[in-house]
Amino acid sequence: MDTIKKLVLCAVIAVVTFGIGYKVSDAYFGNRTPAQPIEFSHKIHAGDNQIPCMYCHSYAERSRVSGVPNVKRCIGCHSVIKPDSPEIQKLKNYWENKEPIPWVKVYNLPDHVYFPHKRHIKAGLECQMCHGDVQSMDRITRVSSLKMGWCLSCHTRKKVKNGRDCWTCHI
Amino acid sequence: MKRRDFLKYLGSGIVGTGVGLAFGKVTKPPGAKLIPYLIPPEDVIPGVATWYASLCTQCSAGCGILVKVMEGRAKKIEGNPLHPVNKGRLCARGNAALQALYNPDRIKGPMKRTGERGSGKYKEISWNEAVSILGRNLSELDKNGATEGLYVLTSTLRGHLNTLIREFMSSYGSPNYMQYELFQHRNLIYANRVSMGLDAIPHYDIANTRYLLSFGADFSSTWLSPVNLSHGYGEMRQGGARRRGVLVQVEPRLSLTGANADEWVPVRPGTEGVLALSIAHEIVAGGYYKGADASSWKELLSGFSPEHAARVTEVDAGRIHHIAKEFVKTRPSLAIGGDNLSAYRDGLSCLVAVNILNHLAGNIGRKGGVVPNPAGLLKGRTGTELRKDRITALAKSALEGDVKTLIVYNTNPVFTTPAGVKLERALRNVPFIASLSSFMDETTAMADLILPSHTSLEDWGDDFAEPSTGVRVATLMQPAVSPVFDTRGAGDIFISLAKALGGKVGERLNYKGFPEYLKESWRKIYANNKEVAAGALTFDGFWNRLLEHGGWWQTEEPRHKPRSVSVRRVKAHIPTSPSEFEGDEGRYPLYLVTYPHAGYLDGRGANLPWLQEMPDPMTAVVWGSWVEINPKTARKLGIKQGDLVTVESPYGGIDLPAFLYEGIRPDTVAVPIGQGHRLYGRYAEKRGVNPIEILPVAEDKRSGELALNSTRVRLERKGADGKLVKMGVRTEELGRGIVQTITPEEFERIAGKEEA
Amino acid sequence: MSKIVKKVKERLRDFRRPGYYKEFEYNWTMVIDLDKCNGCEACVVACHAENNLPIVGKDECSKSRAFNWIRIERYVEGEFPNVKVKFIPIMCQHCNSAPCELGCPVYATYHNQDGLNVQVYNRCVGTFTCATYCPYDVRRFNWFTYKWPEPLDQQLNPDVTVREMGVMEKCTFCIQRIRVAKDRAKDENRKVRDGEVVPACVQSCPTGALVFGDRNDPKSRVAKLAKSPRRFRLLEGLNTDPSVIYLKRVMKKSGSKKHGEHG
Repeated sequence: MDTIKKLVLCAVIAVVTFGIGYKVSDAYFGNRTPAQPIEFSHKIHAGDNQIPCMYCHSYAERSRVSGVPNVKRCIGCHSVIKPDSPEIQKLKNYWENKEPIPWVKVYNLPDHVYFPHKRHIKAGLECQMCHGDVQSMDRITRVSSLKMGWCLSCHTRKKVKNGRDCWTCHI
Repeated sequence: MKRRDFLKYLGSGIVGTGVGLAFGKVTKPPGAKLIPYLIPPEDVIPGVATWYASLCTQCSAGCGILVKVMEGRAKKIEGNPLHPVNKGRLCARGNAALQALYNPDRIKGPMKRTGERGSGKYKEISWNEAVSILGRNLSELDKNGATEGLYVLTSTLRGHLNTLIREFMSSYGSPNYMQYELFQHRNLIYANRVSMGLDAIPHYDIANTRYLLSFGADFSSTWLSPVNLSHGYGEMRQGGARRRGVLVQVEPRLSLTGANADEWVPVRPGTEGVLALSIAHEIVAGGYYKGADASSWKELLSGFSPEHAARVTEVDAGRIHHIAKEFVKTRPSLAIGGDNLSAYRDGLSCLVAVNILNHLAGNIGRKGGVVPNPAGLLKGRTGTELRKDRITALAKSALEGDVKTLIVYNTNPVFTTPAGVKLERALRNVPFIASLSSFMDETTAMADLILPSHTSLEDWGDDFAEPSTGVRVATLMQPAVSPVFDTRGAGDIFISLAKALGGKVGERLNYKGFPEYLKESWRKIYANNKEVAAGALTFDGFWNRLLEHGGWWQTEEPRHKPRSVSVRRVKAHIPTSPSEFEGDEGRYPLYLVTYPHAGYLDGRGANLPWLQEMPDPMTAVVWGSWVEINPKTARKLGIKQGDLVTVESPYGGIDLPAFLYEGIRPDTVAVPIGQGHRLYGRYAEKRGVNPIEILPVAEDKRSGELALNSTRVRLERKGADGKLVKMGVRTEELGRGIVQTITPEEFERIAGKEEA
Repeated sequence: MSKIVKKVKERLRDFRRPGYYKEFEYNWTMVIDLDKCNGCEACVVACHAENNLPIVGKDECSKSRAFNWIRIERYVEGEFPNVKVKFIPIMCQHCNSAPCELGCPVYATYHNQDGLNVQVYNRCVGTFTCATYCPYDVRRFNWFTYKWPEPLDQQLNPDVTVREMGVMEKCTFCIQRIRVAKDRAKDENRKVRDGEVVPACVQSCPTGALVFGDRNDPKSRVAKLAKSPRRFRLLEGLNTDPSVIYLKRVMKKSGSKKHGEHG
């Protein structure tokens, strides 16, 4: 084999593995546990204190989005509960500056996917089925791949009506 | 394979993967943010739409709308299904109102002129400063005893903004409040007044008519109340088991409505009045008119025999006779007139002639005919005084120095008046101009101070539709979204101005803001009107229902009160000869017909990209203007489709592409109004031409209204590429049977087999 | 392995067999009365507003790249003064044996259980095959990614995907509105009622020429109108079996009567 052929082969291997590496980084090394502006712990709220999910994510039953609690709701409790903790102080700062908290999205779906929380909740699904053991997480970690195969496997298993039709999720 | 080679490949593989991993890490978009509400608005569920009932202000029809709002942003406008005017429907312009709200070229806050007038140099200032500048100016006028030097010019306003401005003006001490729009239908009101004693526009019950004779009224696209009348048209054609109504359109240029007509009567421009009276002559001569005054009608119409009319109008005498017979024999029938007809120098008389037709055929006060509307909820309509309130009068006063301060709101007279009015020069003569426009249009560019007002989706207001539908209608306008920019409602601006002025004005308009004024005014209507108050226990309950339904209207069937046209009344107003046109017939052989574009109307829609890219209904042209020429005429002049052509009148010339159109008389050319803005934002500027520029300053002989169809022109081919862009290429079916048809006779046979 | 490939192939062929979905739960149908339509273009703008259609500007328009999921065709025939003008609104006909579905190499367009012709944006690779196969010229291609200047982008409908460069698109019968209606029906445990789904064009139509509904429901307005003796479908000879039904325009035969010959 002459040098040129070897070089071309090297290049081809490099390109292919580059692609693999890119994909792998996307799938397995993506930051599934991003840092949040406030170290909010679901473990304390949903786990230890057993606040129901839909007390804060109040739209999940009524809308396609579940909603994040408005700052007023946070401050409503925390003006009394643990007002001196440093994380609550951060919350207080946001409230006093009339700024919303810039939470980082953990479960982020692309624009071409239509996912209604409402239908899934009404079908009797537990939040934990997709979001994992939230009540034991200090910082939220994405537990599902959110890939189409993942969606479809459940739709197939549960024999969802029209569950494999493209226009059920892509409009 | 050699061990060394294997290592090489392995190495490149590892490097590739590593770089891929790193690259993936670096290029991945940063995490999207999840922004919560600080304090949630009431009744808002993210992801679920809220609908607000409001009022459309894209034209003066006064349709009720529902605005779809999601997360505080307006997403879609639809017709309010409860509203009697548009019955849940909406036209293209109404749909496009969203792009006025979110227009990128809106004026984003108050501004003060820093450069030369018209130079477009402005400095941003605060609202407080802006109001105090105008307040100081008005105080100074007051101090000098020149309060009459304040002029206010607005679009057609019928609701409480109108009464507020009137109160402001009367307490300040100026009688000079004017309303001006290019298409105001004032001639129609005048014609009804002089012929029927009806000082209003009646409801034309197209839905229930069976023979509609339309003189130039293009109700399918722009005339009067297009959505209401188009809905009526649909009902007339195929409204259940009833027989199908017939539409006959009389006009020199086939409009959209004409294109849908069963019969097109291509009358010579300016002779429609003569034609109408000739039809009237046939009705009386045929003995169809049974009134006691038949003989005096006969006398009045004696000069309008079909034979005479045929020579003038170029419509066969036999055809005139036939139309007269059909018109009077088909029950109910209806004649309407507008657009072209009211834009001649004899416009008022032509409309009177149409009223005579309706009277002679017994159509007034009938179901399926002319239905006079009940008096509105607000007493005393204003702004329709004959020979007053004209833009030409304003220009004259300004030139003479009578106008000291001018406040302009929601109207663009510099764009919509012929150059001969010299409005721009007149405005330069006005010491101080304030514009309340949200857009930098040609008139606003003359302003010294700009106080940008809300668009209709951000503001409060109300409207009393005219014409309504034979019942009383009031529509409420409420903000669907919070203001996009630093703008204020027009009513709020006047109230804060009153505060700045103090004194009598401040006392009279002592309100927190326009919403309060509006609510208090409605409290009065509620207290004084039992019918309005019916079904509500308290005013607050009534007010909430008003907001929920988008207004208040009578739900019963319209009452039909007959009215008549008397010979005595119309004698002085009937057209005796064809309307006059400027320009020597030899030098300017062609009539010029201008008409409002279906999307831009009088030019106000030209800054909305959806309307720019909406194909014109008849020609499919987008993003430009054109001149319609009959192919026969074009051949004679060596003009081909899309050529650049100069249209020259005695008052100037414009260059625009030719559109060869079989639907226009060979002696007529037509140009749409609406394009040719010098200013007005990125979507409107420097597109097409404005035909108003080459019109003479011609007024209706009797009403004094601006006559748009009053000049002859000549054409000259200027070049090959006129840059005409239209959607679609073919306008022939080529035997493909795309639009299949059946004849009326066949339809008669099958009608009834069909369920609606 | 080959067995699986064979199975997949068979399954996919099923999609392409005309009349594969004969048993629709809903059979969405539009009826357009050409005798009512006056060609006013309200539907065109309503569609732009609802479905996030971009505007492309004059130059692109001249290259026939403008986006209209619904358009009004106009036919002007005859010479002055005997001119006949006919209008017809044309959108995706949602053919039950659609030519476009046969062509797509990646199955980005197919027929679904409701009798709708589906376009899946994230599957589309932009081969343009469907558009060339379509006899009605209703498919539009995103030659570029079109962006609205701020704040016009605030108007974009969040229920509809904003398409990007390289994707084919077309009328969906306002699937997002069908979904909202179905969602509500499911909450109340019933079927979608007649008149509950109103696509944007139908909603705005001033003359009421457009009617939309479920043809499987014999009591629906469309089912009744679909039996009209005036019914026809566009280019029926092509055997595409469209879901859009037109009602014939009533008009005199051109040239049958000249003016002056009346009575």
